[in-house]
Amino acid sequence: MTSTAVRSPQRLPIDRPAPVTGSGIALRGVSKEYPLKRKTSLRALDGLDLEVAPGEFVALLGPSGCGKSTVLRLVAGLEEASAGAVDVEGRPPAQLAREHRLGVAFQEHALLPWASIRSNVALPFQVAGRPVDDRRVDDLLRLVGLGGFENARPKQLSGGMRQRAAIARALALDPDVLLLDEPFGALDAVTRRRMNAELARIWSEQQITTLLVTHDVDEAVLLADRIVVMTGRPGRVRYTCTVDIPRPRGADVTRTPEFHGLVDTLTAMLDSADETA
Amino acid sequence: MRGSALRRLYPVLGVIALVVLVEVVGRFELAGKSWPPLTEVLASLGQPGRLDLVLRSLGATAVAAAAGLVLGTVLATAGAALGLLVPVARPGMDRLAAILNAVPLIALAPLLIMTVGREGTPTVIAALGVGFVMFVALSSGLLAASRTHQDVFTVLGAARLTRLRRLQFPAALPYFLDGLALAGPTAVLGATIGEWFGAPSGLGVLIVSAMQNFQIPLLWSAALSATLLSLLAYVLFSRVQVLAARRFA
Repeated sequence: MTSTAVRSPQRLPIDRPAPVTGSGIALRGVSKEYPLKRKTSLRALDGLDLEVAPGEFVALLGPSGCGKSTVLRLVAGLEEASAGAVDVEGRPPAQLAREHRLGVAFQEHALLPWASIRSNVALPFQVAGRPVDDRRVDDLLRLVGLGGFENARPKQLSGGMRQRAAIARALALDPDVLLLDEPFGALDAVTRRRMNAELARIWSEQQITTLLVTHDVDEAVLLADRIVVMTGRPGRVRYTCTVDIPRPRGADVTRTPEFHGLVDTLTAMLDSADETA
Repeated sequence: MRGSALRRLYPVLGVIALVVLVEVVGRFELAGKSWPPLTEVLASLGQPGRLDLVLRSLGATAVAAAAGLVLGTVLATAGAALGLLVPVARPGMDRLAAILNAVPLIALAPLLIMTVGREGTPTVIAALGVGFVMFVALSSGLLAASRTHQDVFTVLGAARLTRLRRLQFPAALPYFLDGLALAGPTAVLGATIGEWFGAPSGLGVLIVSAMQNFQIPLLWSAALSATLLSLLAYVLFSRVQVLAARRFA
């Protein structure tokens, strides 16, 4: 049984503990239910606790369908928790979006097909009603290796290039919080590894509070300061570990026994996570 | 190469077959005296002053249809955008559009003659038809933006009007042009019908007077002109639609 049918005649009361002062992301006792047919609902998350300290890079690992993307959507303010509290910098997450201080890269690149790559990366400025900082846009395009492709349209680029443009767009306004929902999920293994290296390089330049959702163990170990493994649905935190491998974590790191040991532990954890559901 | 040449030949063959059929039915009076041969209709344009009369009427109808197209499109765009920005208004807008479209135009004639006058009636009737088509096209077009695109605008903290301008309008453009390809002929038809209610000039006027005086070739020159005008509008907007779809899809 992976789904729980819960009778919920009325909505669960939302108890919101006093927000922590300071920044970072905090989820406490978060549950999320999706209503299905009449009076039944699907419980995607159940009493999840998760914290991301300011400037920390946390990877959320879990089997597919465990609700990792739901966690990210809650933190992005795209959905509301059924119970528990979600705070970003001590306030409701939608607040951060309204202040244009949130960067999100989704599974699909979600670039606007009618706009050039440059306009897509400049979009956050326009949405925020600020003058477009051309220097910043140029720098970002160079940073993600898309210099020279400014005037191309998304469909003229490869999948990897589109994802890089989407990441540049997420970084445009110097966000305080960066959310990445399997941004490289659709890429082949080689491109994916290269993108991981680039993301690590970009992140090391400006350590933004980052939450990465992924099912790729290597990716999590290469990028994160800390890894949180979730159980199968309904999602809970099963295991947390810090990654002590020093940065920068280049290709040589992937050959160390330390790296392999951690990957093996986490992979085993993911395997059994499916069963505990 | 050969295949594509053949494919281009088919529509030409189709038109020729249709013209021949019309001519034959008229020539042998297979459908009675009110179906003239095409050649006779064209020959009638050679009578003194006739071509001038038809062209002048065509111009009047084209102007009324174009004005109706613009008016109807503007109103439909405003209505569809309102339905989007004020979700409470959406079902009301849908029903209003459906009701306006269901009222028989003939019944509106006295009302329109009293309010906008005989000169304005063709434009308003054209706008009514156009408005409905465009409202339906835009209502679905404005919802065409993908879920993920909507999410991107939400996490960027977009205000409703910014979302409308930068996401929903561009995403609706192919639907808008699709609507125009249908609304163009609707405008011509609406203007022609509107002219029946006492407009000073136009193809509709010409059709009514030719019909009452049993001037069959004149009747058909007017009808043929209206048809060509409709087709022109359709072909024009379809072309633009294809170009836009290439960029916006």
